Amino acid sequence: MTTVAPAPTTRPVRPRNAWKAWLTLAIVAGITVWTGFAIGVDIPGLIRNAGNGLANLIALTQPEYGFVGETLSWLAETVQMAVIATAIASVLGLPISFLASRATNPSRPFMLAVRAVMNVVRAIPDLLYAAVLVSVVGVGALSGTMALTLFNLAIVVKLVSEALDAVDVGGQEAALAGGATWPQADRAAVLPEILPAFASQVLYTFELNIRASTVIGLVGAGGLGLLIDRVRTFYHYHELSLIILEILVLVLVLETVSSWLRRRLTG
Amino acid sequence: MTQAGPAATATDIRFDRVGVRYPNGAVGLEEVTLDIPAGEMAIVVGLSGAGKSTLIRSINGLVPISSGQITVGGRPVAGQSGRRLRDLRSDVGMVFQSFNLARRTTVLNNVLMGRLHATATWRSLIGAWKADDVELAMQALERVEIVGKAYAKAGELSGGQQQRVAIARALAQRPKVILADEPVASLDPPTSHVVMRDLRRINEELGITVVVNLHFLDLAREYGRRLVGMRAGRVVFDGDGAHADESVFRDIYGRSLTAEDVLDAPVRP
Repeated sequence: MTTVAPAPTTRPVRPRNAWKAWLTLAIVAGITVWTGFAIGVDIPGLIRNAGNGLANLIALTQPEYGFVGETLSWLAETVQMAVIATAIASVLGLPISFLASRATNPSRPFMLAVRAVMNVVRAIPDLLYAAVLVSVVGVGALSGTMALTLFNLAIVVKLVSEALDAVDVGGQEAALAGGATWPQADRAAVLPEILPAFASQVLYTFELNIRASTVIGLVGAGGLGLLIDRVRTFYHYHELSLIILEILVLVLVLETVSSWLRRRLTG
Repeated sequence: MTQAGPAATATDIRFDRVGVRYPNGAVGLEEVTLDIPAGEMAIVVGLSGAGKSTLIRSINGLVPISSGQITVGGRPVAGQSGRRLRDLRSDVGMVFQSFNLARRTTVLNNVLMGRLHATATWRSLIGAWKADDVELAMQALERVEIVGKAYAKAGELSGGQQQRVAIARALAQRPKVILADEPVASLDPPTSHVVMRDLRRINEELGITVVVNLHFLDLAREYGRRLVGMRAGRVVFDGDGAHADESVFRDIYGRSLTAEDVLDAPVRP
């Protein structure tokens, strides 16, 4: 190690910036306390009234297993809504993703316009879509499926166009240099590179759907959520407990399968 | 249109006082005047940054020129867009340093990309290639002796194999000109010779005009009858490779030769 002959320089003085970390911590703590007062957090009140909630909580730990038969058709509807919404959103989302990526859309104004529209679509929460669509289409799985489709479309386009931004464009450059049009070059050289990532995002969207489709049912958009709303209204907490258990099992199983598939796709 | 035989006619390339200035102000080419006759194999040498890549990429319009005029087979390149630019590019095959293959699809699909200019959009979107085009792609793969890998994933091939697939893709265009931008810079010496021999064979057997960028001088002298030396965006040597002696290379490189400028074992002490 005698070959290394460092230039004679003085060692730098250790910078003193710990105060920045403390200042940040103080600001965050201040904001937290301030927002707590603003929304009226009442901790002593929570403790005084704990007894009221306790009975409900105990009921929630005791599922009514006899209720399973009644829930199955709702459970199936939840899964069906998730599958259809994922399928439609994926088919529509793939070409839109290509328009929303700077790597695959040569027209910058067009690309920015597509992104702007998709940002609006994504900014609206799924529950709001469901509430509006229920009032337009009516209570049931159709409005729920439409709400999920819009919600999924926004996610698929966001994730896939980001993957496209990072894709190796060598093949596309070669195709363009050989006289291909942009759509041809994107289809022939970029699509194969992005397919595993696309499939992975579709599965991820499907996972999100299972959870989302139980929530949007609360505003009448079909699926298990509709049933949850019914038993909750009548304080049937043992039955509610069973439904929550079912959702837990469903989500765990689907997420396990889906993440295993995704690892295989992208690995 | 079924046989992948010789392209219709070879085509000449003319540079007339061409200048390229990049948006950041950097000079790519300066007053380049060059005449590459049809059917010639020309090798462009120079240090990195000398403008070799700019020169090659301006021929098919990948780099737009700022002044002067380039014509390929009498057709001007500058100012073309849309259908006319694609027509021009379909006559010019290109081979890249990093192969530029779609790694996750098959070798055959990669070679078929050379047929996109002659394929209807709807066909390319659903992947319904014409049988003639598939035949043409297979013949191009046979010419670079790699047809056995037609259904392998491009990314699974070795570097040398990938570059030959890229040459097949260029051939599938039935081009009149092939441009190769540092085609052996990512390859080891034996593989470099295989790729250079492929390019020479294409030039000799099909009469296609070939322009190759190289960094290595020994390769340039071995394969280039016509040698173009570049330095700082200008052509500083243009002539027979056999006549390019030490002083010529000092001129091009601005210094004496070192071991890094040759591919194989040093040609001289």
